[in-house]
Amino acid sequence: MSDATSTHPLIELRGISKFYGNIIALTGVSTTVNPGEVTCVLGDNGAGKSTFIKILAGVHQHDAGELLIEGNPVRFASPREALAQGIATVYQDLAMVPLMSVWRNFFLGAEPLKGVWPFRQIDIEKAKEIAKAQLAEMGIDIRDTEQPVGTLSGGERQSVAIARASYFGAKVLILDEPTSALGVKQSGVVLRRIVEARDRGLAVIFITHNPNHAYPVGDRFVILNRGHSMGNFAKADVSQGELTQMMSGGAELEALQHELATH
Amino acid sequence: MAAVTAGSADERLAQRGPIQQLLTRPEIGALLGLAGVWLLFWLTSEAFGTVGGTANYLDVAALLGIMAVPVALLMIGGEFDLSAGSMTGATAIFVLLMSREIGELGGAGFSLHLAVPLSLCFALAIGWFNGTLVERTSLPSFIVTLGTFFILIGAKLGFGKLFTNKVIVEGLDDAQGYVFWDDIFGAEWIRNSHVWEGRDWAWAGLLVVAGVALLAGLLEMSYARRADSHPWHAAGGLLAAIAVPLFGFIMLLGTDGAAANWIYGGVVAVGTLSGVAIWCTARYEPARHGRTAPDARSWRMLVIGVAAIAAAVVLVLAMNAADAGQLGFLGGGLGRAVFALGVAATGVLAVMAATGRVRTSAPVIGVAVAMLPTISYMMTIQAARAVLFGGLAATGVLILTMVGTRTQPSLWIPMAVAVAVAVLAFVVQSESESRKLRVELFSTLLLIALALAALAVARSLAQRRTVAVPAPQSGIWSRGGAMAGGLATVVFGIIELVDGDGFLYALTTGAAKGAVVALAIYAVGTLYRMLFTTDEGVGRGLMYVGLAAAGLALASKLLFITAAEAEATQAVTRFRVSVLFYLLFAAAGAWMLARTRFGSWTFAVGGNKEAARSIGVPAARTKTTLFMLVSVCAWMAGMLIAFRLNSVQANVGDGLEFRYIIVAVVGGNLLTGGYGSAIGAAIGALIWGMISQGIGFAHWNTDWRFLVLGGLLVVAVIANNYVRQRAERSQSHVVDEGETPPETPPPAEPEAATTGGQP
Repeated sequence: MSDATSTHPLIELRGISKFYGNIIALTGVSTTVNPGEVTCVLGDNGAGKSTFIKILAGVHQHDAGELLIEGNPVRFASPREALAQGIATVYQDLAMVPLMSVWRNFFLGAEPLKGVWPFRQIDIEKAKEIAKAQLAEMGIDIRDTEQPVGTLSGGERQSVAIARASYFGAKVLILDEPTSALGVKQSGVVLRRIVEARDRGLAVIFITHNPNHAYPVGDRFVILNRGHSMGNFAKADVSQGELTQMMSGGAELEALQHELATH
Repeated sequence: MAAVTAGSADERLAQRGPIQQLLTRPEIGALLGLAGVWLLFWLTSEAFGTVGGTANYLDVAALLGIMAVPVALLMIGGEFDLSAGSMTGATAIFVLLMSREIGELGGAGFSLHLAVPLSLCFALAIGWFNGTLVERTSLPSFIVTLGTFFILIGAKLGFGKLFTNKVIVEGLDDAQGYVFWDDIFGAEWIRNSHVWEGRDWAWAGLLVVAGVALLAGLLEMSYARRADSHPWHAAGGLLAAIAVPLFGFIMLLGTDGAAANWIYGGVVAVGTLSGVAIWCTARYEPARHGRTAPDARSWRMLVIGVAAIAAAVVLVLAMNAADAGQLGFLGGGLGRAVFALGVAATGVLAVMAATGRVRTSAPVIGVAVAMLPTISYMMTIQAARAVLFGGLAATGVLILTMVGTRTQPSLWIPMAVAVAVAVLAFVVQSESESRKLRVELFSTLLLIALALAALAVARSLAQRRTVAVPAPQSGIWSRGGAMAGGLATVVFGIIELVDGDGFLYALTTGAAKGAVVALAIYAVGTLYRMLFTTDEGVGRGLMYVGLAAAGLALASKLLFITAAEAEATQAVTRFRVSVLFYLLFAAAGAWMLARTRFGSWTFAVGGNKEAARSIGVPAARTKTTLFMLVSVCAWMAGMLIAFRLNSVQANVGDGLEFRYIIVAVVGGNLLTGGYGSAIGAAIGALIWGMISQGIGFAHWNTDWRFLVLGGLLVVAVIANNYVRQRAERSQSHVVDEGETPPETPPPAEPEAATTGGQP
């Protein structure tokens, strides 16, 4: 969209739409995602943010438009395929199995193995060690990686999910509302992780409804409202105030401000 | 829960001893239930504890367990298979119809070399069908497999009658290739034909090794290693702890007369305890705790425990062991009055419970009272004496054991407890009619007393360890042991086969010899690592050695017979090959669940399918594989049934699917998926086998079999649930202590500490 150079953007969306029966969940969303950039997807509740990332993550398939990975049109049949393309996702509901231990959750679906085939088994020592080290790097000191995830606090679970995605996520890291359940300090840790991931050359897609979190780290902003794209801006073209306004449907907020001011 | 000690690796990680860690396992409730059921029937029946009785209930447990293990895996994966029971019969009938030429239409008449693999394909196809249908339609597996269940029932009867015009399909032994396949699926181990004179020595020797290894392992896991440990000093203590008690025990078993018993008993005790004392002072940090007086609760428990043991002793003396008459103490008018009282109490309590005045569980008391007369008619005086004595003594010993482990700083209370248990042992020995109680219960009680005293000595001398015990290093010794063991298994197996022995005999003796070789190498390695390296994992290694030695001892006693025994017994004891498959499947299932990627995925799809799928677990494939696993095991069970009887009735296996599910639940598997254990399911099957056969052995009225079974299973499930909840509470208790820090990470973490708000 912005630049039509010879190299293709990592991910390009052209008019992506998704319908659930006669309900339009998402229509005509276009943007590009480049390595070393943070693309923020902003929108209020019900704006279509979740549908947007589920299409990218391979949970749902789009009904219209094109999804291009490095210039090739794709349609992911399963999350495993998206993962194989290097798209790792941290979900809002954290995608964790509460009854399973921390290390098992950390490596779920990509367990390190050892041994020869009929006796091939998970390298448990290695898995525990890596999980503990990765979490320690995030500033989360897990007491015992054998404890079930269900016993962790919300912030800790988020950290496990992000540490896992950034450990495995090769090219693209999708974060679905990573800061919504966190306190101020932990949110700061998460935002710092986003910047670190960007600096390492990853493409980060950061979904949030909080412009205060999005603006400082974002390079590009996609604003969704009730399934429609309100635009696709580079950071230079937009201010934080404008973002907030567009997100909530500008006029409505002005009306509210007016109403509150007259009281 | 032990106190958090300074200097631990993580101050928020509350110390959990080996026992607490064990209690969080899902199968622990089932294991306790198993011990209880075994003890109950062992006390009430002469035949139950013998090798013949063991073979009998193992056989029932085996056929059930082969299916319960995969059904449990499927349940952990969040699905049910109601067609599992009828599938066992279906594969059996399939193989018969494929291999026979009978009736007007005639069977296929294939050789068994073709029919057996074909029936496996048939079973796999059903499993695939079940799994795919559940996945594609997203219907509950309950509905889908209910359909398969009826299809299979109909097909069995329909095809069976179409070809043979009978509801029973017969004549497998006429089929081509029967001898080869019967050697695998119909093999039996007839104990009387395997005389081994050295068995008693192997039994005793292995038990001593097992006991010492378990005790040393427990000490290693519980106490903190000192930096300057003296290897030879420690080894001397260990040697003393083995040699002196061994001498004492041999003398003890060889003598009669109270005075000599006390003397040799004293020799055993002093030898063991001084051995433990030397070992502890040479090897562990000296204890730092001060001595405080035991609290009121300890005193109360001590009194209750001693009272229970005293009551048990009085009971044994008062009741006539030879009286096989009915207890019937509530006969006639009194019985009716008690029954009426119980019914009335149930009604009143139920009304009160409904209005919220008493707990909702209160009416159970009334029911129990109403059942008293019936129970008094179901039991003989003999049985009542054994059960009451066993119950009281076990309760007393248990409570005293708890006191012994509770009063940490004091040495004399555990010692007093040990002496009380030892006194009980000697009363048992002098007052029992049966050899079983005189020898086996006597030695067990003495061992308990000895272990209690040994642990008390260790506790007063050594400092508890504060860091968790790591897994033992799997170095050259375990690898070499495994390799040498595997090689020995193959070599000895082939030698037996060449000698012309049967497949089962070759396999079992080969495996047994291989296991001995592997164990020996691993044990030597563990011993070496313990004395000359700083490997902290040897405690668990020693535990493995102890458990393996105990298992081998048990196997030697079960599988072989001495010439003297052979002369004394007329009954033939046969172990069917199904027992071998049962053990194999349980082990394979446990390994798969705990150690493989597939096991992790099974937990994940049962715990949170959407999460598992979105993170890249192939959920559909995992579930379909689980269904196919069930059908493979159903095929195995079907083959075992077909080759046992050489004929199959159309309704074989129908209705067993609920039994598999119940057994899995008894074994600690969650009905809703995501939590459980394969070993638990295997133990559940063993409990079922013991109860259903034990009722017959104990000469209880077998008309009541299912009532007792159902009741005991309900109790087992409740107990299991209770234990699990307790375990989870103790686990979350650990977490609660550290619940606050995560929000404000400790200053030791540089990243968290320097982060303030936004970057």
